[in-house]
Amino acid sequence: MNETGLRVLVVDDERAILRFLRTSLAANGYVVFEATNGAEALEAVVRDRPDVMILDLGLPDMDGIEVTARLREWSSIPIIVLSVRDQEADKIAALDAGADDYLTKPFGVGELMARMRVVLRRLAHPEMEPVFTTRDLVVDLARRLVRVRGCDVQLTPTEYDLLRVLVTHAGKVLTHQQLLRQVWGLGYENESHLLRVNISNLRQKIERNSARSEYIITEPGVGYRLRIEV
Amino acid sequence: MYNCSMANPDRFSLGREQAEWRQSGRTRQSPCWLPYAYGVGLVVVTTLIGLPLRSFIDPTNLVMLYLLAVVLVALRLGRYPAVLTSLLSVLAFDLVFVQPYHTFAVADAQFVLTFIALLGVGLVISTLTARAREQARAAQDRAIHTRTLYELSRDLAMVLDPADVARTAMNHIARVFRGRAAVLLANGQSLEPVLDSPGFDLDRDELDAADWVYEQGQPIGHYTETRSEVKGTYLPLSSTQGVVGVLGFQPAGPTGSLTPEQWRLLEAFASLTAQALTRIDLTHEARQAQLLRESEKLQAALLNSISHDLRTPLASITGALSSLRDDAAYLDETARALLVNTAWEQADRLDDFVGNLLDMTRLEAGVRKIQPELCDVQDLVGVALERLENRLEERELVLEVPGILPPVPMDLPLMAQALVNLLDNALKYSPSDRPITVKAEATGSELWLTVIDEGPGIPEEDATRIFDKFYRVQRSTEVTGIGLGLPISKGIVEAHGGRIWAANQAGGGVAFTIVLPDMGPQDLPIAEGMA
Repeated sequence: MNETGLRVLVVDDERAILRFLRTSLAANGYVVFEATNGAEALEAVVRDRPDVMILDLGLPDMDGIEVTARLREWSSIPIIVLSVRDQEADKIAALDAGADDYLTKPFGVGELMARMRVVLRRLAHPEMEPVFTTRDLVVDLARRLVRVRGCDVQLTPTEYDLLRVLVTHAGKVLTHQQLLRQVWGLGYENESHLLRVNISNLRQKIERNSARSEYIITEPGVGYRLRIEV
Repeated sequence: MYNCSMANPDRFSLGREQAEWRQSGRTRQSPCWLPYAYGVGLVVVTTLIGLPLRSFIDPTNLVMLYLLAVVLVALRLGRYPAVLTSLLSVLAFDLVFVQPYHTFAVADAQFVLTFIALLGVGLVISTLTARAREQARAAQDRAIHTRTLYELSRDLAMVLDPADVARTAMNHIARVFRGRAAVLLANGQSLEPVLDSPGFDLDRDELDAADWVYEQGQPIGHYTETRSEVKGTYLPLSSTQGVVGVLGFQPAGPTGSLTPEQWRLLEAFASLTAQALTRIDLTHEARQAQLLRESEKLQAALLNSISHDLRTPLASITGALSSLRDDAAYLDETARALLVNTAWEQADRLDDFVGNLLDMTRLEAGVRKIQPELCDVQDLVGVALERLENRLEERELVLEVPGILPPVPMDLPLMAQALVNLLDNALKYSPSDRPITVKAEATGSELWLTVIDEGPGIPEEDATRIFDKFYRVQRSTEVTGIGLGLPISKGIVEAHGGRIWAANQAGGGVAFTIVLPDMGPQDLPIAEGMA
């Protein structure tokens, strides 16, 4: 797997992290560009035209969240945020600012590559396939049909909308706010119990065991993600 | 009894009763001539008793009556009234009982001998009985002295605070000496009044005197260096530690003064007070030293534990990596994979440890506040299981988490961590071929979450200590990881207002139970607001 030729911009002020990412990403076939602070990162996005960006939240000159927000004003480049543990608030802020995913330090290359594939998958297929499949779950977006393990599942309109939003962002973490806004609309951002109840109902209908979800994964304190295999 | 400076030049009395009679004696101003008047009266009475008998009884035998009177006076009234009584007895005997009656003339010369004998015996008796009386009184005084000191030292032994020492000393002095007392204690370089009896005059002059006493370690006042402008007597409170304070005394009356014995007693009081203060000081120091030692011990344990748990995985990682770097040529594929896996596992362990240490610190410092939100119990269990996915793959897991449980307000990331730590504990301490059970149930308005393993259980004495920081059940030497997981779980659960405990199962193994309070729909509005 070393012929992707995709360009990745790595933004981190830690030399050791840069070196390890450079080596690993190059070995996986990526063309690597580097930046060690926010200003350089913004310049590099213009100059090097990367396909994806790996962004550390703790930069010396500006916050990674700010970098994300500024980039989102004119660019839709996929951004994977690197954070240290227990920064739920930061993770949410970064995701809400437009980051596509986050990785908690320390992380393994395998995990990073999986996240990269998820965000790049959407880059490769900007138009959603009308039928989405992962493991035993099939969602036919054109006909609003959901099948699990070969059986049709009856969903309420809200449950279906929720599943549809998760499916269209498959693999990506969606914050509570993002889900509430996209399913219920503006003004519902604080009605988290609606989300909780519908996620719970959805799980009862599509998961084999709600306590060991295969599809709908809780990112505690942040949001939910639909698990896909890439 | 009479208080007469002539009869008892050094006389003073101590103790409650004595002070009282001393007080009443002083207020009544009992005159000094009264004992002599009693002596005279007794001679008159003796004479009147003897008068009707003088025709039947030989006069020399009547002398005995006078001797009796002298003994009585000497015994009760002191030496000098007894001497007077002896003299008067001789004169009265001569006047009334020796012919010719009613003159001092003596018809029979033999009576001269009687006179001399009467006088001599009277004087000797006076001296002897009076001395006996003085000695008895001195003994009584010594007893009172001793008792007073004993009472003070007993009371001082019970107090634990310098201010209480001052109060005790002050009260005793005020009571025993009938005066006002003050205690000034050293505070750093200066002397500060701690307590003084009402009315104690502590003006500039007095304070200067006290300061001088503190600095010089010498008393000021009666029987020592005196200063005209100073009203009180000041004694240094000296001990082996140096001068720890100053004891002040001012007599109640304007003319009151201290007798030498009172002075000695006051000195003894000061000494006892100083000893009590020193004892408290030393006790305090000893306690501080002990606390310091314990804290140092804890620090040492903490450092040992931290350095062990940081260094062990680091050593494995460094070892594995150095081998991969330096011995690459000799390593076959299997060996290389083994080294890489070792380094990876140990790095994971290091991450766990650092995470735990941070969690603990955050919880203890109160940095991470609990942010409760209604959560499904299944979701909680799911998050915990998801986090341990890799390690749970090989393990049989029994889930008894019904979907019908009402949501519970909790801080999901934290509670998930609490549950992860219990599961991690079960994974570590039970054999890998035995199942782990996770059970959730609603009991009243509480959520009971139980993680049950089928391991060897916990020794009885460890049941509560396993929740202590850095505590690890001794026997399991093969298990790695710091004893922080359970204390963190406990901290998280208690921050939620819940409880956590461990209990050995009848069939073997341990059940860890978390109880979260206040589940149910009544909490919905609150939790909504928090979302």
